[in-house]
Amino acid sequence: MTALKPLGRAILFALIGFLIGAGLSAALVEAAGRDEMKEPIIAGGYMFALIGWLFGVGVWGSWVREWFGATVKPFHIEGWGRYLGFSTDHKVIGVQYGVTTIVIFLLAGALALLMRIELADANSTLLSRTDYNTVMGLHGIMMIAVAVAALMGGFANYVMPLMIGADDVAFPRLNALSFWIVPPVAVLLILTPLFGGMDTGWTGYPPLSSQGPTGNLLFLMAFTTFGLSSILGGLNFLATIITMRAPGMTWSRIPIFVWAVFAASLISLTATQFVAYALLMVIFERVFGMHFFDGTIGGDAILFEHVFWFYSHPAVYVMILPAFGIELEILSHFARKPVFAYKWVVRAFFSIVGLSFVVWAHHLFTSGMSSELHGPFMVLTELISIPTGVVFLAAVGTIWRGRLWLKTPMLFAMGVIANFLIGGLTGLYVADVVTDLNFQDTYFVVAHFHYTIVGGEIFALMGAIYYWYPKITGRMYSERLGRIHFIGMMVLYNVTFIPMFIVGAQGMNRRVADYPAEFENLNMFITVSSLLLGLAFIPFVYNMVNSWIRGRKAGDNPWGARTLEWQTTSPPPEENFETQPVVVEDPYGYGDPDAKHFEFPSGSGHVAEPAGGDD
Amino acid sequence: MINRDTVTVAIIWIIATVAVEIAFSFVDLFPAAASEEAVIVDDAFYFLTYIAIPVFTFILVALSYSIIKFRSRPADDGGPPEDGPPQRTHNAWVRGWMLVTSALVVTVIIHPGLTGLWEMDEAANKDLDFVVKVTGVQWAWSFNYPDQNITSPELVLPNDTHVRFDVTAVDVVHSFWVPAFRTKIDAVPGLTTEIHANITETGNYDDDINFRVQCAELCGREHAIMQSPVRVVERAEFNEWVLSKQ
Repeated sequence: MTALKPLGRAILFALIGFLIGAGLSAALVEAAGRDEMKEPIIAGGYMFALIGWLFGVGVWGSWVREWFGATVKPFHIEGWGRYLGFSTDHKVIGVQYGVTTIVIFLLAGALALLMRIELADANSTLLSRTDYNTVMGLHGIMMIAVAVAALMGGFANYVMPLMIGADDVAFPRLNALSFWIVPPVAVLLILTPLFGGMDTGWTGYPPLSSQGPTGNLLFLMAFTTFGLSSILGGLNFLATIITMRAPGMTWSRIPIFVWAVFAASLISLTATQFVAYALLMVIFERVFGMHFFDGTIGGDAILFEHVFWFYSHPAVYVMILPAFGIELEILSHFARKPVFAYKWVVRAFFSIVGLSFVVWAHHLFTSGMSSELHGPFMVLTELISIPTGVVFLAAVGTIWRGRLWLKTPMLFAMGVIANFLIGGLTGLYVADVVTDLNFQDTYFVVAHFHYTIVGGEIFALMGAIYYWYPKITGRMYSERLGRIHFIGMMVLYNVTFIPMFIVGAQGMNRRVADYPAEFENLNMFITVSSLLLGLAFIPFVYNMVNSWIRGRKAGDNPWGARTLEWQTTSPPPEENFETQPVVVEDPYGYGDPDAKHFEFPSGSGHVAEPAGGDD
Repeated sequence: MINRDTVTVAIIWIIATVAVEIAFSFVDLFPAAASEEAVIVDDAFYFLTYIAIPVFTFILVALSYSIIKFRSRPADDGGPPEDGPPQRTHNAWVRGWMLVTSALVVTVIIHPGLTGLWEMDEAANKDLDFVVKVTGVQWAWSFNYPDQNITSPELVLPNDTHVRFDVTAVDVVHSFWVPAFRTKIDAVPGLTTEIHANITETGNYDDDINFRVQCAELCGREHAIMQSPVRVVERAEFNEWVLSKQ
C-alpha cells in the first residue's frame, strides 16, 4: 500500500487545492458583484488543484522543501511502485510516459471508432451533433498529446540518455515534473463531457471557443497545461544532449535518433510558448471577459489563427522528426548497413526546423488573410519537400543492397517509408493555394494529416515499441503476434484512409456528424475497415502485456545493434552503465570489421551477452 | 553507382510510372465544375498528380525491390544476418537527388499554384455583373442582393455571369464553400472577405449536391447542417425569380 501513498496524497492535495482556489475565486466574483460568472471559480480552482496535485505527488517533498532550507526526501521505491511516484530516473519516467500515452492512444482510438460508427449513415443516429463535436474534439486533442508525448516523452526519455552514454537527463526533477503535469491534462479532458462537452475541435478557434459550454474552458486549460509539459521536456532534452554526452561522443558520432530529438526539442522549447499564450488569451476572454479575438468590438479572430498555427505547424515536426530518427535507426540496424548520408540527414533535420517556422500561414489560405501572402507561403511550404526528400533518399539508401532482417521493428520502419510517402505527396495539394481552396476543411485534409501522423509517426512509434521492448522489459515479445499486428495494421490502415481522399475530393467536408446521402457508401466502407483496424490492435495489446509477464528473457542485445543502449543489461541498472563507456567512433560501422563505437576503459565494463534472437 | 540492381529498378520504375500515369488519366475524381475557378483548381490538381506519380513509384519500387531482393536469413543462432557493405554515403547520389528535387520544387511544383493564382486574379478582374452579400450566423446563411434589393435563404444565380461574394459573419467564424465552384473563404465576424465566381454551368441542389453552400469551418452544434441550396439558372429565369421576390 505504501506504493499508492504518493498518488493518494496527490489526489487529496488536489482536492484541497481546488477548494481553496475555487473559494478564493468565488469570493472575488462575489466582491465584484458578478454572481453569474461560474468559470472564474473553475479556473481558479483548477490552478490551485494543479499545484496541490504536483506538491502532493512529490514536488514538495523531494524538491521545493530545499528552497526553504529543509532537507528533501527523494522518492525511492523498488518494484512496480516506482512507476506511481515522483521518480527522477529517466527510465521510470520514460515508461510512465510510454504507458500513459499508449492508454490515451487506445482511448482516443476508441473515440475514433465511435465517430466512424456514427458516420456509417448520413444522419446523426448514435450521437447527437453536440456529442459528435465533443467526441471529435477529444479524439483530436488526445491524439495530438499522444503524438507529441509518446516518442519524445516516452522513447526519447528512456533511450536518448542511454544512447549518449549518460546516467540520466540534465534536470531529473524537471523531467519528473513534466510527466506529472500530464495526468491533470487527461483528467480535465475526461471531465469535459460533464461540463457540456466541447464544440471547437482541437484547434479551439475563437470566438467559438470563447463562447459555448464550460467544457471548452476545460479543454483550453488542458491544452495550455500540456504545453507547459512540452516546453519543460524540450528544454531538458536540449540541455542533456549538449552537456551529458559520454567522453568521445562528439557531434558527428551521436546516433541519428538523438539528432532528431535535438531538432524536435528546439521546436518544443520555442514554438510551444506561442500556442500557450494564444490559449491563455482565450482563457482570459472567458474568465475575465476580455475581447482579444472578437472582431465585432475591435479584436481580431484571424490573429488567433496565426499565433495558433505558428506553434501547431512546427508541432507536426515535433511529431515527425523523432519518427524519422527512429525509422533511420531501425533501418540501419536491421539492414546491417550504416545510415546512408548521415550528415545530409542532420542538415535536413535542421532545415526542416528552420522552414517549419515560416510556413504556418498555409493553414490560413481560406481565412481571409492578405492574399499577397498566398504565393510566398505556398513556395516556402513546398521548399520543405527538399529536406524531406533527403530523408527518403537516406531511408532507401540505407536498405539498398543491405542484408534486410525482416523483424517486426523493421517491418514498421519500412511501413513508415511507404505511408509517409503518401502523406508527403498529398501535402503538395494542401500546400498549393489553388487546390487548397477546394480541399481546405474537407476529408482530403483529414486523410492527408492522418497519413503523416499515423502513417508516419504512429507506425514509427510501433516500430520503436517492438525495437526497444526487449531493452525496457528485459523480455522478448512474440514475433508471430508482432507480424500479425503489422500486416493487419498496414493493410487496414490504408484501406481505411485512402477512401477518405476520394470522399473529400467529391465534396465531403470534415468535422460533421451529418453529410449528404451521396457519400454514404464510401463512408460505410471506411467505417467497416476502421472497425477491423481497431481489431488489429488486440494482438498488440495482448502481446505487450503477456510478453512482459511471460516472455522469454531477451538478453542484453538481441538485435546485435551497435548503439550504446544495447551495451548494458536489459533492463539497464539505475545508473545505466556500470562503467562509463568511452566513445571512439560513430555507431554505424556495419560491414567494417575494425569499426568500434565505444570501449569500456580498463576492461572492467559490462560485456554484453552474445546476440540471441527470437524464433 | 551503376550496377544490375540499379538498372533493374530503373526499368521497373519507368514501366510502373507509365502504367500509373496512364491508369490515372482515366480517373475522374471531381464532381461537375460549374465555374471558371473550378476548372483552374481541377487542372492544378491533375498537374500536381502527374508530377507526383514518378516520385511515388520511384520510392515504392525501390522499397519493394529491396524487400524482395535484399531480404536475408538470420544467423544460425537466430541473431542478425552478417553485415551488409559498409556504404556510408555516396555524395554524387545525394547531390544529384537534391538537385533533381530542388529543381522540381522551384520550377515545376510551384507552377500550378502560382499560375493558378494569377488565373484566379484574371478571372476576378473581369467585368463584374453583380455582388451578393453573404452573412453566416449560427447556423444559417443569408444572401443579400443589393442591386436587386432582395434577401434570400437560397442562393440563386444566373448562368454566364461573374459574381462577387462579400462574406461576413455575425457570431463566430464560418466558411463559405460551394463545392461546385471549388473555392471557399472564411466568414469572419468584424471583417468582410470576398471571393469570385465566373459561373459556367447551370445546376441545382436537387440534382447535384455539390450545388450547395456548405459551412466549412467548425462553428458549433449545428455546423454539419449549416447548408443552403444553390440554384444556377438561365438569365431569364433569374430575372423572374428576382421579380417574384421583390
